[in-house]
Amino acid sequence: MSVARRLPEVLVPALLVVATALLGLAVSNYLEGYFVNTLVKVAIVVGLYVFIGNSGVLSFGQISFVAVGAWTAGVLTVPRADKPIAFPGIAHFLATTNVGNSASLALAAVVGGVFAFAVGLPLMRLSGLAAGIATFAVLEITNNVLGYEGLIGPALNGFSSVPPTTGIWQATIGCLICIAVAYAYQRTRFGRMLRATREDPAAAAAAGISIHRQRLVAFTLAGALAGFAGGLYVHLQPLAANDLFLDLTFITLAMLVVGGSGSLLGAVVGALAVNGIYTFFTAAVNTVDVFGWHLHVRAGTAEIVLGVLMVLVLILRPSGLTGGRELSLPRRRRALADLEKARATT
Amino acid sequence: MRVSKRARWALVIVAAAALALAATAAARTHSSSSKKPIVIGWAHDSTGAMANFDGPALAAAQVEVKKVNKKGVNGRKIVIKTCDTQGNDSSAAKACADQLISQGAKIIFTTCDVNYASPVIQESATKNHLLTVAPCIGTDQMSPKFTFCGGTKLCFSFGNVAQDEGSAMAQVAWNHGWKTADLAKDNTIIYFDAVVNAFKARFKQLGGKIKFETTYQDPTVHPGSVNYHAAAAALIAHPAKVFVTATAGAYGALGPMMDDLRTANNHTPVLNSWAGDGTYWTDQNVTNYWFVTYANAFGHDPSKAVNKLAKALNPAPGTGGFITGPAAIDGVVLAIKRANGSLVGSKLANVMQKFHHVPTISGKVSFSKRLHSVFGRAYRVIELHNKTAIAKGTIVAKKVPHSPDQP
Repeated sequence: MSVARRLPEVLVPALLVVATALLGLAVSNYLEGYFVNTLVKVAIVVGLYVFIGNSGVLSFGQISFVAVGAWTAGVLTVPRADKPIAFPGIAHFLATTNVGNSASLALAAVVGGVFAFAVGLPLMRLSGLAAGIATFAVLEITNNVLGYEGLIGPALNGFSSVPPTTGIWQATIGCLICIAVAYAYQRTRFGRMLRATREDPAAAAAAGISIHRQRLVAFTLAGALAGFAGGLYVHLQPLAANDLFLDLTFITLAMLVVGGSGSLLGAVVGALAVNGIYTFFTAAVNTVDVFGWHLHVRAGTAEIVLGVLMVLVLILRPSGLTGGRELSLPRRRRALADLEKARATT
Repeated sequence: MRVSKRARWALVIVAAAALALAATAAARTHSSSSKKPIVIGWAHDSTGAMANFDGPALAAAQVEVKKVNKKGVNGRKIVIKTCDTQGNDSSAAKACADQLISQGAKIIFTTCDVNYASPVIQESATKNHLLTVAPCIGTDQMSPKFTFCGGTKLCFSFGNVAQDEGSAMAQVAWNHGWKTADLAKDNTIIYFDAVVNAFKARFKQLGGKIKFETTYQDPTVHPGSVNYHAAAAALIAHPAKVFVTATAGAYGALGPMMDDLRTANNHTPVLNSWAGDGTYWTDQNVTNYWFVTYANAFGHDPSKAVNKLAKALNPAPGTGGFITGPAAIDGVVLAIKRANGSLVGSKLANVMQKFHHVPTISGKVSFSKRLHSVFGRAYRVIELHNKTAIAKGTIVAKKVPHSPDQP
């Protein structure tokens, strides 16, 4: 497939993200936060896609890497003077270390990746339900450690004075970086080998592909992207351990499934569509006008609508809105005609 | 099912269009505001963990506002505009604060837990420099010494300082001759933690003995947790004169813990904080159960004004926490008057820091430069016995011991 034909595979998701950012700038000031939040969610879901989408293995543990990234970026950017109050029991090294915004995001990615690698070493030997449950256990452990261990962060207090640097542009750039990395990975031989293991593990293993190694590479990369997204998240709004737990796990998985877990486009479309709908109905609880018609819904409507949407998508389009496929330009008619002619002559 | 490329293109466009529609539609949200009234924006939770505390406080505040508006505040009326944070979803809470500010709110009220309130505080106090009030945050984390308010003096809570409440509970225990106590700490929320820590410190000062300590996690805040059953079993295994905890009746652990204790034929008194106020969560196993609270919501408060207000509310308030809403309105109104009608956050904060025994419907309220939550209030002591509430007088914390929660 030519580069030009493949270009939409990465351009369309990127353009959707940029369009979302521009929309976010166009709406009322108070709604901009929802758009920034949506972009951060896109980054998280893209990270999720890198592992789940390419490997076909379900992971409930991805949000633990988001949490670790958020903790890293948050702890390292809270002003040093605030740390004795914000983190009364924190380790001396962390109390005396401060970095800037960009460095905190990079470190969040590194720590997320390293943690994912350490966790993935034993876990990536598992498949199916066992892998899902094991990654869920990682989520539980991480949540409890971050939520209660004062040596490494705010524990129960949650973050309160992290510089709020994630605006619409930081979120957009962060999101584009995640998309670029995810796309680059899926085009490499590692990405192809992992997808081969997804389609037929036995055949892939017979062809000499190490399933464990390929999954570990993807899991580590996904952890790094998740850590990075966690850094973006903590710079957006005050977070506590429970903000990075079950709700976020299931909503991001829902985004991936609704969009189509088999493609990068699916991850982006799913995150945008689900968050768009969720945002609309969340805002409608406090009344919105739709073409002059006042719409007011009861609290909880967003969750009901999302639930119904998920059921419908799973019934009508089990492989998601995008069918789990990337978007590429159609083949040129002449080339097709030439191909058919060649076939006819042989 | 194989999908044609054209169909996939169409789907992407539809998704983008849906997002655009959502955005443009939502952008037209009501933003009408009148310049004349003083607009208080109230970001409350109607569905989540704080709903049982925010709802009654807001309803009672609205009654109080009607009363205030009969005379007006420096010739102006007060209007409360509300925004539902829907379970304190961070994005929704943040958007709520911005929405209320865009509707002309000059003072922002927020929910009763400091972590849940953080996104609102960040927008209102830190970014927009508005006076930000929580009717019933039960810790002193709104103070400038903490970082929740971005180091500003703009945040206040009309809730009691948890250390004050824990100290009052210790006095209740001591006064009833309960000289030994077992502690069961719900460590999901700082307020719960701080109350039990303060109880422990003050109880030991009074000469009491802590016989056993355990922890658990409420499943409402920490989904999936069931360790409160183990905590109840551990309490039964370590007899003491009183079992002390701080957790909410509205959550998931308290009811089952009481069931565990009473069905095991253990009838040791259980002493809780304001969080465990109310009968709405109780069953026949909630006996010999004590708590301290802001007001007696069962119609037997020492203050006639409180009883009258409780009676006026429909539905009737479930806990005494309802009084913190009107108390906060009373306090803010007084601050505006003392600031000569100014709504500038820093001016109002300066005035409020000087509140000393200021009368509100909830009793006398004091703040200081260091403490931005109320201390020294008279707590109502109530015993529950199979859904019957029995008033057991009032208590004021004589001493607030230093506890690990106070930097």
